[in-house]
Amino acid sequence: MTQHLYLSLMPEALIASQLEPEEFGTYYAVGSEHKTQGKAAFFEIDPGFRHPELAIDEALQRCVPHPDGVPKRSVYVSVYRVVERVPLGALGRLYLVTQDGRTLGIDRSTRLPEEAPGLHLYHEIAPLHPLVVSTFDPRAFHAFFMGGGSKYLSVPAFCWAELRLGDLATDPERGDVRDLPYDSIDHLRSCLVALTTKSVTTKIVDRLHPSAFSFRTLKNGVFFGNREGLVIYAMPSAETLRDKNFAWWRSANM
Amino acid sequence: MNNDIWLVAGIGAGVVSIAASLLYYAWVAGQDPGGEKAARIALWIREGASTYLKLLYTTLLVVAVILGLVIAVVFSGDSTRPLHGIFTALAFGFGSFCSALAGWLGMSIAVRANVRTATACSRSIGAGFTVAFKAGAVMGLAMVGVAVLGMSLIYLLWHDVEIILGFSFGASSLALLAKAGGGIFTKTADIAADLVGKVEIGIPEDDPRNPAVIADNVGDNVGDVAGMGADIFDSYVAATVAAMLLGASFAATGGAQYVVLPLILCILGIASSIIGLQFVKVGPDGKPGRALNFGTVFSCFVFAILATAFFGGVNWAAGTTVFNWGALIATVAGLGIGVLMGFTTDYFTNDEHNPVREVARVSGSGTGLTIITGFSYGLVSIAPAVVGIVAATLVSYFTAQAFGLPGIYGVGIAAVGMLSLTGIVVSNDAYGPIVDNAKGIAEMSGMDHEVVDRADVLDSAGNTAKAITKGFSISAAALTVLAMFAAYTEVIAKYSGGKGLLLDLQDPLVLSGILLGCIVPPLFSALLMLAVTKNAFAMIAEIRRQFAADPGILAGTSTPDYKTCVAIASSGALLALAFPAALAVLLPLAVGFILGPGGLGGFLGGSIFTGVVFALLMSNAGGLWDNAKKYIESGNCGGPGSEAHKAAVVGDTVGDPFKDTAGPSLNTLITVMSLVASLFAPIIARFHIF
Repeated sequence: MTQHLYLSLMPEALIASQLEPEEFGTYYAVGSEHKTQGKAAFFEIDPGFRHPELAIDEALQRCVPHPDGVPKRSVYVSVYRVVERVPLGALGRLYLVTQDGRTLGIDRSTRLPEEAPGLHLYHEIAPLHPLVVSTFDPRAFHAFFMGGGSKYLSVPAFCWAELRLGDLATDPERGDVRDLPYDSIDHLRSCLVALTTKSVTTKIVDRLHPSAFSFRTLKNGVFFGNREGLVIYAMPSAETLRDKNFAWWRSANM
Repeated sequence: MNNDIWLVAGIGAGVVSIAASLLYYAWVAGQDPGGEKAARIALWIREGASTYLKLLYTTLLVVAVILGLVIAVVFSGDSTRPLHGIFTALAFGFGSFCSALAGWLGMSIAVRANVRTATACSRSIGAGFTVAFKAGAVMGLAMVGVAVLGMSLIYLLWHDVEIILGFSFGASSLALLAKAGGGIFTKTADIAADLVGKVEIGIPEDDPRNPAVIADNVGDNVGDVAGMGADIFDSYVAATVAAMLLGASFAATGGAQYVVLPLILCILGIASSIIGLQFVKVGPDGKPGRALNFGTVFSCFVFAILATAFFGGVNWAAGTTVFNWGALIATVAGLGIGVLMGFTTDYFTNDEHNPVREVARVSGSGTGLTIITGFSYGLVSIAPAVVGIVAATLVSYFTAQAFGLPGIYGVGIAAVGMLSLTGIVVSNDAYGPIVDNAKGIAEMSGMDHEVVDRADVLDSAGNTAKAITKGFSISAAALTVLAMFAAYTEVIAKYSGGKGLLLDLQDPLVLSGILLGCIVPPLFSALLMLAVTKNAFAMIAEIRRQFAADPGILAGTSTPDYKTCVAIASSGALLALAFPAALAVLLPLAVGFILGPGGLGGFLGGSIFTGVVFALLMSNAGGLWDNAKKYIESGNCGGPGSEAHKAAVVGDTVGDPFKDTAGPSLNTLITVMSLVASLFAPIIARFHIF
């Protein structure tokens, strides 16, 4: 059986498994006996990836089938500081798993999204997961956290998603909420307004935001940045998802 | 003129209607049943429906035999009519059989049409609509056909309106079991499937991994096809019989033609419905809701023209006024107000109007506001409907009186007018669950999303049609029981030596009766809703057990045990139904034999008033909460997953047993109690404690 390495983002962890990505996604979201539940997001990692601080080989040695032949579902390599140790080159496909175990694989994109006017809403996924609004586009946001903005605000690597703001991006005070499912929408509006009235470029909306988020609110896609650079996993259009991944789309839109 | 010719015509119209129904049946059954996966899911639904129907009809058989024996024994005591009891018991059994037959035909085609509609949606919306609507027409035409055939045949055989009361009571007994039982079944499955599937596990609606999904789809059929159909069948027969009874009360002076006039109007209604059905069509990408409404309104005009032509033609041919024009005006008034009230319901439950949008908007601030706002709009919705019933009552009463007929006969004939288009109204209603099932099958069998989208468009129109039908059926039931109430007073007067029944509010017996009557609808509603929660709790445990026992279910590698959930819903519904159903039959008898005719009159009045109020409140508030949730799900007020959506889901869960179990069942409750009172009135008039 093939051994896989997965970088889980919700929560952050490096996991060895004999399950194929779709099977792992289902298992990771709903558990083997339906005792766990929740959305998941993970990268498939180059199986040749090694790091001196991560005991990958030892984990792979334990990642063998059960006596009854059932594949080993998961062997945890590490649950801390994984994101900062994985180089961009080791990142494979990104998988987004709905709460009921439907898995969508997204390929790495070579192009960054075109800059659109208006404000931005970023959900940091790992290593921490605050909800942030910003005037920066994804590229500037990445540069900001890589030390370009302030010497006090610098991280070695992080993964985040840009979420839709709809009308609020250009009219935070009066824009129609429509299908934006965010909690405390008035607070979000005031944070967005602060970006336009005060001399701040980034503002935290929620410091202790839940790590999971509604996949249907994804705007451009998911970003992974470190000091090497920035990569994007562009979200397919809603039409494409409905055409080609209808089961996932239905679950993601609940 | 020999009125028997109209009875023969009634039998002929009934046969034609049943034949048309069978033709539609054959046409729908001949449509493409789709691929293997869709056919397998449809088979599960069909088997589930069959399991429930077998249980229902077995229960009905037991109830019918017991009640039939009671009727035969009790009514054989009259030495002037020694066989009256046996004839009434036979009519009772025949009424139950006819209602069951219409329900079985409707269910039988509905569980075949669902997959065929889904398959037809792969071609176009119009193709899917045609299959679903023609399948709905099977139920509509079968129902009016057997009703008119049965009533005409019984009156032709015995020329005794009181025996037809037995037929009506038989139909109502089945309606009570079918509507309330179907309501408990459907909401047991719906709530359990949603609470575990959607809320706990997070799987979408109509997902084949949910063990309750087949029970949920079966529930759509048993609740909305068999249940709602039986309910309207019951009102249709009761309204006709009540008007015939009122006609009989002045036949000696006014003429026997007024006894059969309600049947003649039913014949014209059948003709109008069959004509109207031919004009309900949707283009390749047209609007199904518009087509359904057009069919109803068009049939109204056809009926009005046919009725006017009939009155004019007969009077002209006879050279005298055989049929009083006041009766025609009362009929048309009832018809017009009935349709108008159906659309009034639409205002409160359609997401294009303010009430639903307001509930969706306030849901963002929590469940409390969702419940308060929805409940309040439900209360408001009572007002226009009751004003409509009052208007229909007053217009028909005074018009009839102005033309020299007894005013109360005008009310009775207005109820018949309101229900004359039952054929097309039931067709619209049965269309709803068929397209609901079609959408579910399309999703479960993994059909292309365009097919699902088309089925969704059909389903939305079905929801609106269902809401309109509920408003219509409650209003019709209200007017029917008012006529039935008048019929009760006539029977009491007849068996009390001509002494009329005066309901004096200062009479403690009448007042006690009113108060006791007032508590029955809320008590009945509570019992049904508690039955839903109890059964849903049992099914929730079963769904959780299945998910825990077999992880492959959620992974999609194992098939859940659908049959156990269907069995829980079936047996639970019928067991839970026994006590409230017994109350509906026994309470009026107990009140009548203890408090006497006046007390029973007050009891009926009290139950009618609170019954109508509760039925309107629960049906409309439930529909409003349901559509507020759907409005949010369609991308408003935060969309799916938002706080507003979570609050709206709670509102919808509360509203589910409101709108599909308790609310519509109250129509049948008040009709059954009125029929029991009228049927047993001759005995109560003689034997009572006070």
